[in-house]
Amino acid sequence: MEPITYLQSIVLGLLQGLAEPFPISSLGHGVILPSLLGWNIHQNDDYFLAFLVATHCATAAVLFFFFLEDWMRIFRGLGRSLRDREIGAEDADARLGWLLVIGTVPAGILGLLLEHPLRTLFASPTSAAIFLTINGVLLLVFERFRRRPPRPGDYKGDADPRIARMSFRQAAAIGTAQAAALIPGISRSGITMGGGLLTGLSNDDAARYAFLLATPIIGAAGVLKLPELMGSAGDGVRGQALVGALAAAFTTYLAVKFLLRFFETNRLTPFGVYCILAGIACTLIFAF
Amino acid sequence: MTKRRNLILPAVVLGIVLLAIAVIYWVEPAGSLPSFFPGHEAGSSHHHAKHGIAAFVLALGCFVFAWFQSGPSRQGES
Repeated sequence: MEPITYLQSIVLGLLQGLAEPFPISSLGHGVILPSLLGWNIHQNDDYFLAFLVATHCATAAVLFFFFLEDWMRIFRGLGRSLRDREIGAEDADARLGWLLVIGTVPAGILGLLLEHPLRTLFASPTSAAIFLTINGVLLLVFERFRRRPPRPGDYKGDADPRIARMSFRQAAAIGTAQAAALIPGISRSGITMGGGLLTGLSNDDAARYAFLLATPIIGAAGVLKLPELMGSAGDGVRGQALVGALAAAFTTYLAVKFLLRFFETNRLTPFGVYCILAGIACTLIFAF
Repeated sequence: MTKRRNLILPAVVLGIVLLAIAVIYWVEPAGSLPSFFPGHEAGSSHHHAKHGIAAFVLALGCFVFAWFQSGPSRQGES
């Protein structure tokens, strides 16, 4: 019997691709949904980790190619700053690049050291449902304490110089806070979007920063674990992983396209309300 | 950005130390790591490759920091 069916892999791939950019925790939904549907799939099973590698790689690849032009500008900016040994005062691409590096390093190191223990500790669906509720509360708190209210036309013009005004300390704080997303139920994009709002970004700019920041960390996590997919843990799930990855790529593209448009005029509030309601409902379902 | 040239040498030294730590994590099994290293586990043959990557990334960060501090100072900068 296959450890994971093709139907399950399509559903989980679609879910991963959708929930990763949305501020609703893909990991949390990946724990809760199989449990709600009565599937015998557990986040810590070797084959499932191998499956997740493929969907995460697909998500990272779509994010990278979606913002390919921006990444090329950012890489050139990083190169310029390394060559000149300073970040030019007007060089928004270089500054944005280093903000992304500084945001990625702490999250990456904490992820390398804490991913396994946290995943093991908080792997239960009940725990994921409780943290999903907490995630919803956090999203509402971010909106309540954002540095400035949204203004009409916030999204117009080039976003990068606005994002690049963030301080390196703020970038490090947001990057470190991303590590909370190692707990199933807490959303990485939710934390980074919320952090962006607290530093004075608009919802649209915060979402853009969150997607750029997510790309290297998700990609690195996927690539580091590729040997698991290629090794014995991947036996019997490689076909399903490919199908899941294609499904994840499809919904990631749609989700990013939708969210960039959505946040031009909307806030995190609906996602906060959804997480609270879904979290409470699932907690009650799993408790009784 | 203000250049702090007095931090160049400490950053390079710290980078070299972290690089050495990364190599130790990659080469030595958990049982052979010095006992004060995170991840030391007596008798274990497991390699803490991820700890090594973390140390390597920090080492790179130290070198990049030192590189930027060694850059030319802008006019009017103290």
